[in-house]
Amino acid sequence: MSVSAAAITVAQAGSDFFRDRSEADCIRDNGAFCAGWVIENADRYVEPTLEHAFLVLVPVALGFAIAFAMAVASHRARWLVPPFIGATGVLYTIPSLAFFFLLLPITGRGNVTAIVALTAYTLQIIYRNIVAGLANVPADAKDAGLGMGMTERQLLWRVEMPLALPEIIAGVRVATVTTVALASLAVFAGAGGLGNEIIAGSAITFRTGIVVAGSLMILMALAFDLLLLAIQRHLGRWRVAGRERAAGAPRLRRLRAPGPERA
Amino acid sequence: MHAREASRDEDPAGAALAVEFRDATKTYPGADAPAVDALTLAVPAGEICVLVGPSGCGKTTAMRMVNRMIEISSGDVLVGGRSVRERSAAELRRHTGYVIQQIGLFPHRTIAENIATVPRLLGWERERTRARVDELIELVGLDPELAGRYPGQLSGGQQQRVGVARALAANPEVMLMDEPFGAVDPINRERLQNEFLRLQAELRKTILFVTHDIDEAIKMGDRIAVLREGGSVAQFATPAELLMTPADDFVEDFVGADRALKRLSLLRVADIDLWRAPLAFAGQATSEVRAKLEGAEVPYALLVDSERRPLGWLSDSDLARDVVPARPNSSPEPVLDLDDVMRDALSDLLQAESQYAPVVDAQRRIAGVLSVEIVSHFLTSEEALTDEHPAAEREFVEP
Repeated sequence: MSVSAAAITVAQAGSDFFRDRSEADCIRDNGAFCAGWVIENADRYVEPTLEHAFLVLVPVALGFAIAFAMAVASHRARWLVPPFIGATGVLYTIPSLAFFFLLLPITGRGNVTAIVALTAYTLQIIYRNIVAGLANVPADAKDAGLGMGMTERQLLWRVEMPLALPEIIAGVRVATVTTVALASLAVFAGAGGLGNEIIAGSAITFRTGIVVAGSLMILMALAFDLLLLAIQRHLGRWRVAGRERAAGAPRLRRLRAPGPERA
Repeated sequence: MHAREASRDEDPAGAALAVEFRDATKTYPGADAPAVDALTLAVPAGEICVLVGPSGCGKTTAMRMVNRMIEISSGDVLVGGRSVRERSAAELRRHTGYVIQQIGLFPHRTIAENIATVPRLLGWERERTRARVDELIELVGLDPELAGRYPGQLSGGQQQRVGVARALAANPEVMLMDEPFGAVDPINRERLQNEFLRLQAELRKTILFVTHDIDEAIKMGDRIAVLREGGSVAQFATPAELLMTPADDFVEDFVGADRALKRLSLLRVADIDLWRAPLAFAGQATSEVRAKLEGAEVPYALLVDSERRPLGWLSDSDLARDVVPARPNSSPEPVLDLDDVMRDALSDLLQAESQYAPVVDAQRRIAGVLSVEIVSHFLTSEEALTDEHPAAEREFVEP
């Protein structure tokens, strides 16, 4: 939600950007984006950005580990699925600020509180996607696997998990992008990150600072998403291969080959 | 346990084993009647036994008892004289080929990896597995280039071949095939069936083959078990026996009213007593030929060369001359082969709107003459041996 808010601010900034104004005027008028100031002050954003990345990667990694363990457990014992979905759903619906304040007396101000809360938010998305991915494995592939003498465990690791992987990674992508946005609120738990810069900017009503912090978050979300998309594509290359055939890809590829000449 | 399994797998024979159902029964929890009721059936080693019947007759359930994909409620199934219950399900299945209608290839694994599934489970060495995969790809008639592709890139017929190759990979004792050609279009199905029969002639596996299609059963089966609802055997017989003497109304209905015609696909021209046509040679006096024509089974003379290869039928105007001409007026077509399937032979005969067709042996020398009359006579005479009065007989006799 703060990503979209930042996006709107950036859009507004775009119209101001091309106005020919001197740097001093820009800062005095509190312009939306004072490029000179940004270049001069670039290094003050390095640490908050790294902190922010930490506040995304650690919760997503932990969330994935926990959700994965839950999914494996509930794959063996199906009756666990509804309570797991219920429990992660309850965690997901707690308002983030309330979550931080609830945790403060237990874990204190700082990264731990932020990480616990952010991890809890990833569980619902990742767990649901793993369960859905496993449920969507074609029944005939499972029947063939068992019929050829795979044990339940071999079937899970050699057939079901690999086939569910693209969907699992899709869940991780959504969780990651959400966490990039949510981590900006970690400032209220006393953790660092780009949220600090937004708060600082809004305290002294300095618009450029808010725009830069917001833009960095958008770029981070995009970077993580593209990286995960690449991983998803690689792990699901058999899927792409199948689609290619269905879409008559060999012919398309031949058509695309003389591209440079066209340009 | 690992070591023992490994030593079993080193045995290269992979000899086909007999399968025996002994009062095998499957009752699902909560069901009133058993899905398969005291099925007793002995399948000799190296034969294709087709389980055929209407949907709900328990044929698939019965087949899946053999590799314990379905646990037997009571009774037993023996493979090579050994109860399947004595073996661990995984070990049993690794030595039992398994082909299902939806094929069930693993979409995330290449064709080569799919075929290598069971060898990998058995812990074969990498080199041995690779050699076996190459061998199988060739055996089932796949392009070796497909080895690195994913199943989604293959046509239905190609996927089916991969499914068969995968099932054969570890040289199983028994093959289970559940409507293996059901999802393939009719033209490719015919081809896959023929290829599979050719393969089986070499491999001589014991195969349990499930289908609901009686024509496929007749084509593929050395023996056919017709099952009725509740999974009991209505008749267990060779295709010819099944068509000639259906055990009861249920089997007769299931086999179909055209079973007389179906029997023709089980016969070759050589199986039938052919007629003899008077033969004529070029330069022979026509008076001799005319004399032979009197009282002959075929009222036309066939001109043959010195090797007795048919050249054509002699017409009345040919015979009005003094000597037999070297070139006949009419061609001998259609010329049939002793090895032709009777159904195809009859079709050729009808297609050419010809009453008689010369039949030749492998050296193309005349072996006899086939006529529509012989076929109808053959069908009715065989039917007359039974107490049945099927539609086929009435049609041939009454008009």
